[in-house]
Amino acid sequence: MAVETETPVTERQPEESQHKGMSERQLARVFVAPSVITMVVVAAFPIIFAIFLSLYAYQGRQQTGFAGLGNYIEAFTDPRFWDSVIATFVFTVASVTFEFLIGMGFALIMNRAFFGRGVIRATILIPWVIPTVISAQMWFNMFNITPGFVNSVLPFVPADFNWLGTENWAMFAIVFADVWKTAPFVALLLLAGLQTIPEDLYEAARVDGASAIQRFRSVTLPLLKPAILVALLFRTVDALRIYDLPAVMTGGAFGTETLSVLVQQFIVQTPDPGLGSAFSTLTFIVVLGVGIVFVSLLGRDLVIGEEE
Amino acid sequence: MSEPVTPTAEAPQRDDQPSTSPGNGGSAGAVSGADSTGSRIAKTVMLLIIFVWCLFPFVWLISTSLKQGNEALGDPNMFQGPFGIDNYRIVFGEGFLYNLRNTLVVATFTTIICVLIGAFAGYALARLPLKRKALWLSGVLAASLFPPVALIPALYEVWRALGLLNTYPGLYIPYVSFTLPLTIFILVTFFSSIPPELAEAAKVDGATPFQTFFRVVLPLAAPGVFAAAIIVFIFATNEFLIASTFAPRDLSVQTATTAVAFFTGATEFERPIGTITAACVVISVPLIIMTLIFQRRIVAGLTAGGVKG
Repeated sequence: MAVETETPVTERQPEESQHKGMSERQLARVFVAPSVITMVVVAAFPIIFAIFLSLYAYQGRQQTGFAGLGNYIEAFTDPRFWDSVIATFVFTVASVTFEFLIGMGFALIMNRAFFGRGVIRATILIPWVIPTVISAQMWFNMFNITPGFVNSVLPFVPADFNWLGTENWAMFAIVFADVWKTAPFVALLLLAGLQTIPEDLYEAARVDGASAIQRFRSVTLPLLKPAILVALLFRTVDALRIYDLPAVMTGGAFGTETLSVLVQQFIVQTPDPGLGSAFSTLTFIVVLGVGIVFVSLLGRDLVIGEEE
Repeated sequence: MSEPVTPTAEAPQRDDQPSTSPGNGGSAGAVSGADSTGSRIAKTVMLLIIFVWCLFPFVWLISTSLKQGNEALGDPNMFQGPFGIDNYRIVFGEGFLYNLRNTLVVATFTTIICVLIGAFAGYALARLPLKRKALWLSGVLAASLFPPVALIPALYEVWRALGLLNTYPGLYIPYVSFTLPLTIFILVTFFSSIPPELAEAAKVDGATPFQTFFRVVLPLAAPGVFAAAIIVFIFATNEFLIASTFAPRDLSVQTATTAVAFFTGATEFERPIGTITAACVVISVPLIIMTLIFQRRIVAGLTAGGVKG
């Protein structure tokens, strides 16, 4: 609003030479400015400031001197760091894989649905809209020994089996909670892609005698590839940042401490801005690195997809 | 609650879908000769699986939240009573209304600021002459890949120095920066879909570029702006990492997600299942109702931001 009232007054002079008010070129610069300023101040600056902080030694919150690369050496020699790298990648690979298998299944079912499409599209948004902390609490209480709902429903599982207090099974519970919430969301994205595939192509394939599996492999998959790759990029990067589920379900215990949980520990619980910033900078490099690798692969594939 | 999602309400809304969806419906009819009763049953069963997947855990949550007394709450049987609303009384007795208010305030500020500045940037990137547009868009994409946790150590130190810990701006300022990239993507898609002829016509009629944006393009893009606003609002109510780090305990700022995560019973390690599930239901129900009402807008926004990237 401020822009509207100010600019016509200040820009009166050049108005005569061109059009009225700001030229489109000036308006473009004014319009991107607030977003650029926000991103520089609240996103770029903290990343750079964290690199600066990571070069100093701290005792609690008190700076005790320049540490050089000391914090990074400490990070790389700390088995806890490597454990959380492993936990983060195990979580990412497992959750993204299952989300895509189940999400693809759901999308195919919904695309073939002969009734209640509107109802099911609304239903599928429910796990997505329930905040992650809430689904974390929900699945914590379902997996937990008391009241032991999961144990009572599953056959062959002893009533006192402690899912969340057992290495590997704690990770399984967290992956499960994530897949529950996100597979429907992936289905939604894939469904949007499926609906852009012309029905004629399936008809043609059917006339040529292609089986359902052949139609899926030679019509659906290639045409859905761009949608799959974009969804895969965002899901993978999102999974690498996972914090809410392990923080609430296990507090990072039993091999579920992901990189985000690790960094957060060094801010509040055991404050060390130096080491914490070193961990956060490494996390940033890992996540953005995976993202960049994806985007470069994606860019090429999207171009190829358009040429075909 | 089911009113906005009945199939009849859905039918006339199909228009904005790609033309293949009615085509699919038609083809289902066309092949119905080959479509045996068996395959119809199979399809119904598969649809039911999706319904159960999405809804059952929430039904369990509601049933647990209504159980009264330790005996019922400790019983794995969903239908083991007695049932009542005691847990809800306890939740609101612990000041949960403050948490809900805080979430509402933070989410509203985030939404207004983010959509306002995101709409400006989205319009500039979609329609205005700007050098190196591809570079700008890659910058937005790169920003959307940032891990929030990487901002936390530095922001915590800065917020501490500025006195922004345990304040509303301390939360909604970082939220805006996290939601801005997605907002810009969604709005670029929507602004690009508006015919450029309309803006041209406004220009011929003597409108300034700003008037063209504000009076002509923005009203036409209102559905897209609204879709972006809902998605940003949901993100802000969902956020936990920043909320729990920058405003962990102070009840006048602590958000609902933080409260739910930190509910404790008599001892610090006890988790009172009844009050936690009741609080979870209290937060989820308004969000679910909102989703059911605005589902078409949300799906349009998510696919605009996600699939077209």
